Amino acid sequence: MYLLMATFEENSILVSVQNLHKHYGDLAALRGISFDILQGEIFGLLGPNGAGKTTTIEIIEGLRQPDGGSVSVCGLDPAQESMTLKQRIGAQLQSTVLPDKMRVDEALHLFASFYKRSASVHLLMEQFGLEEKRHTFFENLSGGQKQRLALALALVNDPELVLLDEPTVGLDPQLRREIYSLIEHFRAERRTVLLTTHYIEEAERLCDRVAIMDRGQLVALGTPRELIARSGQGARLEIRLAKPVGLDRLKLIEGVIDCHEADGAYFLHAQPAAVTIAALVRFLESQENALLEMHIAQPSLEDVFVEMTGRRMEH
Amino acid sequence: MPTVRIALLTIRLVMRTKLALFFTFIFPLVFLFVYAVLIARGKPEVVAYMFGPVVTLNIMGSSFWGLGRQSVTQREQGSLRRYRLAPIGPGTILLSNLLANYLLELPTISLLLFSAVVFFHMPMKIGWLTLLALVTVGTFAFAGFGLTISSVANTMQEAQIYNNLVWVTLLFLSGVTFPLPMLPRWVQRLAMFFPSTYLVSAFQGVMAQAEPVRNHWPEMLVLVTSGVFGLLFAMRLFRWEKEEKISTKAKLWSGVFALPFLVMGLWMNTRADPTAMWARSYSVVGQATTTSLNPETEKPNLIENFDGIQASEELLRRWQVSTDSDVSGHSMAEISLLTPGAEGRRHAMRLKGRLAPGPKDAQGYVSARCEVRVPANSKGLRGLEFEARGESRIYQVGLQPPKAASSPHPAINFVPGEDWQNVRVPIAWLTDLATYGLANGPWVLEISVTGPPGEFSLDLDEIRFY
Repeated sequence: MYLLMATFEENSILVSVQNLHKHYGDLAALRGISFDILQGEIFGLLGPNGAGKTTTIEIIEGLRQPDGGSVSVCGLDPAQESMTLKQRIGAQLQSTVLPDKMRVDEALHLFASFYKRSASVHLLMEQFGLEEKRHTFFENLSGGQKQRLALALALVNDPELVLLDEPTVGLDPQLRREIYSLIEHFRAERRTVLLTTHYIEEAERLCDRVAIMDRGQLVALGTPRELIARSGQGARLEIRLAKPVGLDRLKLIEGVIDCHEADGAYFLHAQPAAVTIAALVRFLESQENALLEMHIAQPSLEDVFVEMTGRRMEH
Repeated sequence: MPTVRIALLTIRLVMRTKLALFFTFIFPLVFLFVYAVLIARGKPEVVAYMFGPVVTLNIMGSSFWGLGRQSVTQREQGSLRRYRLAPIGPGTILLSNLLANYLLELPTISLLLFSAVVFFHMPMKIGWLTLLALVTVGTFAFAGFGLTISSVANTMQEAQIYNNLVWVTLLFLSGVTFPLPMLPRWVQRLAMFFPSTYLVSAFQGVMAQAEPVRNHWPEMLVLVTSGVFGLLFAMRLFRWEKEEKISTKAKLWSGVFALPFLVMGLWMNTRADPTAMWARSYSVVGQATTTSLNPETEKPNLIENFDGIQASEELLRRWQVSTDSDVSGHSMAEISLLTPGAEGRRHAMRLKGRLAPGPKDAQGYVSARCEVRVPANSKGLRGLEFEARGESRIYQVGLQPPKAASSPHPAINFVPGEDWQNVRVPIAWLTDLATYGLANGPWVLEISVTGPPGEFSLDLDEIRFY
């Protein structure tokens, strides 16, 4: 039977990760990370390549054994109760490969047959826009179609928890937005989702809460709004003026944290933005200068990442 | 059931791949026609003899190049990773591969059987169930081989190397390509360690000699054991990801897989006369060719038919008997004129005696030799033939060219029956006519016997080139 609405208890913890450690030889892939995922939320692990996101998700899936710490998923230990757990979770790999000559409907029917509880293959194909491609061989699917099939495969057992490892990596922006819509549909179904990504906009758009990872450690955890607010970066103002003005004078304006000039424009980091804008207008009037253009940009998770790690995310 | 579902889907995928279809169904047929036309020359009895090697070749091929490669390919391509997320284990994957391989084997063998019976009138001397049992055991055993190789290999290149090593060895040294009785004795000894030898000889025993399959139970047992070993190894060393490699130490453990063959090979080598069974099956090749001889087109090049000989004394002037007594042995032999000869002719020759153990437990040895002249038109010679009758021992026939009496030349085994039988040996098996054909001087024809102690008796008649 296909369950559109996963049954869940609001705010109960579905995944608990405590002080997780994992080494590959001398390399410490995970260095004591801890977080909980609540039932019904979309939780994101954000970080650059090599941050430890995939290792974390694979430990949660039961595919890898941790060297230390504990993990509980749906009340089960993935390392000890892997087969039972696999009945209750659905997962999508970073890249899903199936035999070239396997058809879309064959793949869905085959994988659905492995589970005690399975979703309707017909509805899944409809939901993921694969109905027209049902008889198409895997080798003839486009990148986006392959990814949609991978997502559909993650749902064949109508799982309580969906684990998505970099679901949009390598896709063009249009296909990426297509996948975003599908994942947003999971939210409507109140499914619990853990996704890893190194795309900032993906985490901001899709996730209820985000854990920022870097070099095997959790550097920040919260809702995107909380993280941005906590970062203290403020808004970024880009202004063009009728007459040039010294940077040292701009820095004296109330609320300006930092400023620099590039291509004839001035970039001000302001906190709070509203106070700075009012002060800026007063300052320009006193200088008989005019504001020709102004853009206001809110800080992003990328800014948070830079502030937390001192490095930019590598896409 | 996941195992069956994956297996059935795998078969469907094979059916959609042209190359796989070719190697699964067309390629084995090509082999059957090559063996049946070029080697068996369309003779039904010989086709029955060659059917075993063709089936064994097919089973080996699908195990090494199908099943063995499949697991490595799945791992390298990453398709195993998707299965890993599902609630199924390595056993399901391996058993489904095994089952798909077996289910694909059955129609192929049926096609081979159909072609052999319809196009070459191959006699079916065994029941369907016996054939199915042999195919099942063979497929399982070689699947063990394929799975072991795919488990041990870390990459596809590695798997190719291992496959080729084992494949070529088994192909040429175990009766799959050349009948074992044609091969030197040391190769025959070595062949006793190879599983393909067991399967080929079992097929040839039941297909050509109508032997009950229970006569081959030790070989069958070893084949099944090796299949079980292979499956256990594959489960133990199974890897989902191509990044997971196994250590050299773990690879060495797979040597245990060869243990049943080692035991079997040693056991067969210590048996009194392990090659007799192969030679008995092989004798059908000689028998079968007689039946199709067309007297009108054959030009007999008679060497000896004994009909012009009046007394045994005259026979002794032409034939020389030697035994191991020359080297401190105790074997004895004599030749005598026999009346009547084969097919109601006047005379034949009887070589009779007793083999006794020589010094240091060496086997007894007796030979009868006579000088022969190779006809002037030696380029047209295809072989040597004679009528033979005797008890079920292995005898050898050899033909030594002039001035090469001291250098070793091949001796070909034959096993006479209780009644007169025609034995034919292609000249190429005996000597190299291109090198020696124009040499002047007499050649030496030698009929010899060696083996376990005891009486022996061999009647010979109508020795000729054909």
